[in-house]
Amino acid sequence: MTGSRRLLLLIGLTVALLLAGQVLLPGFLGPGQIANQLKIAAFLGLFGLCQTIVMAAGGQGLDLSVGATATFGGILGAALLPDVGNVFAGVAALAAGLLVGLVNGFGIAVLGVPPLVATLAVASVLDGALIVGVSVLHPGNAASAALVAIAGRGSFGVPNIVLVWAALGGVALWLLLRSAWGRRLCATGSNATTALLSGVDTTAVRAGAYALSGGLAALTGFLLTGYVGQAFLGLGNAYILTSIVAAAIGGVALAGGSAPYLGVVCAAIMMTVLVSVLTAIEVGESGRQIVFGLILLGFLVLDRRFARSAG
Amino acid sequence: MRAIRSALGRASLLPALAMLAVVVALNAWLQPHFFGRPSLESNIATFAPTILVCVAQAVVVLNRQLDLSVGAGVSLINCALAALPADLPGGGWSACVIGLALALALGAVNGALVAFLELPSLIATFATGAVWFGLALALMPQPGGAIAPGLGDLYGADWIGLPVPLLIVAAAMAVWVALGRHRIGRWIVAVGSSPGAAYQAGVPVRWATFGAYLTAWVLVFLSALTISAQTLSGDARLGQTYTLTSVAAVVIGGVSLGGGRGSPWGALLGALVLGIIANVIYFAGIPSIWQEFFKGLVIMAALGFMVSGQRRRVAA
Repeated sequence: MTGSRRLLLLIGLTVALLLAGQVLLPGFLGPGQIANQLKIAAFLGLFGLCQTIVMAAGGQGLDLSVGATATFGGILGAALLPDVGNVFAGVAALAAGLLVGLVNGFGIAVLGVPPLVATLAVASVLDGALIVGVSVLHPGNAASAALVAIAGRGSFGVPNIVLVWAALGGVALWLLLRSAWGRRLCATGSNATTALLSGVDTTAVRAGAYALSGGLAALTGFLLTGYVGQAFLGLGNAYILTSIVAAAIGGVALAGGSAPYLGVVCAAIMMTVLVSVLTAIEVGESGRQIVFGLILLGFLVLDRRFARSAG
Repeated sequence: MRAIRSALGRASLLPALAMLAVVVALNAWLQPHFFGRPSLESNIATFAPTILVCVAQAVVVLNRQLDLSVGAGVSLINCALAALPADLPGGGWSACVIGLALALALGAVNGALVAFLELPSLIATFATGAVWFGLALALMPQPGGAIAPGLGDLYGADWIGLPVPLLIVAAAMAVWVALGRHRIGRWIVAVGSSPGAAYQAGVPVRWATFGAYLTAWVLVFLSALTISAQTLSGDARLGQTYTLTSVAAVVIGGVSLGGGRGSPWGALLGALVLGIIANVIYFAGIPSIWQEFFKGLVIMAALGFMVSGQRRRVAA
């Protein structure tokens, strides 16, 4: 499926879902509701960006540690907040996430561990370490007023977190689609040997992709702490599955080589609206899982059909 | 055929055996009477479900595919078994037939998506895993229900002097050995080793992949059956950790995720290593808050050891 056709399909689906929501639950389309949906979509969209970057790097790229890394960022940031202030707590979370991502990147790009296994192993060690850290140190876990304002409040009717998402997303679109690094990333993902022979340091690019994913996941986890009010063990776990689904539906191929983040943005919004429609018709966790699975399969089949007719 | 046989021959089980020796020695040192019959019997009963799901994953991985839905599949089969009416005619036996049929249906869906619709297996089985989990939750929103009690009694029993769990694992491995003597087993490995070459050689590549999934899901059924016989109730989250454990065990057992190299015996060793590590951590008296962390570290070390060893062998 070409990029623009996919965007149209995703936007069409979102509009259809919004209309269905309005029919089922009058008031679904109110400005407050839309802003709320975008707020929730922002977090999914940021976690989806993590997967976009590592999937673009190829080699069956995936980051199963986004959940643990986000929890780490949230817990560490919240623990530091009272002592160092908002900015440095955020920077510390970002740096810690970059470090976790570098460990992933080292295992994957240097040692050659498959991403699925490497990020899973790192996630289990990190989850274990967080249990120890929280049980031994009992760190403060409350979000500061400023963090709550950034993640949960709005300015002139637009949620602040959506502005953050727009800014980070804009940088990401430039980085992935326009910058030299983005071209190297996609070259590495589509054919690592060719990229290496044309002078790309594929090891550094791959490791960098995982570092970036880790940093972004931890920062998003820190922001998520502001949205929910406090950091806790398992904070980011819900996003492991959904971030991969958002990236795949958005058109990022597991084979690597492309990073169509605009599609992922649309997919994140579509999935968020879908969840609220499902909630409106009282479909629980089980129905949500089934619908997500089937939608992902549907998009995979569509991709396959279009790839075949194009080839 | 010679190429396939040498590929099987290259499947070195030595690193996994060495790791197993180390963890068994540690366990025996920490736990008195580890080699006593009661301890061995309870260990094999505990490990059997994990071993079976790991061997299932190995069959798919040998075919150069993955199945990230095995854990949710175990949960779904477990919930289906627990949701069966207590007065089901035929009791445990008809429950087994229904469970096996369900497992084969799930395996056929995965196999068809990967073999015939040519979807990438990692993401396609990730999607079906979400569907299986959703179905399991729909069947059993809260843990509950009841497994035919006969199954539990049978699982704890001895037959010709050997514990039933051991016999089930042995039967599962015998299925693989029998397949390996038949062309189907060779096809599965040949396709995993080089799909192009296998196709050129006239191997029905799609059917080999479909067959790999069906074979795996027979083992997934046995895994669900053995865990259900122990918990005796249904839980939609029961198998959640199995998927990733199975992938880790496959790697620790020296089965290459690139397909074609390794053997299900390696996955069996990998599953034993992971199970005994959990034992060791328990018996070492490590405070509970540290257990997850240590387990993660040991698994990471084992994975790193295996993968770097494989790279050295490839380079040499």
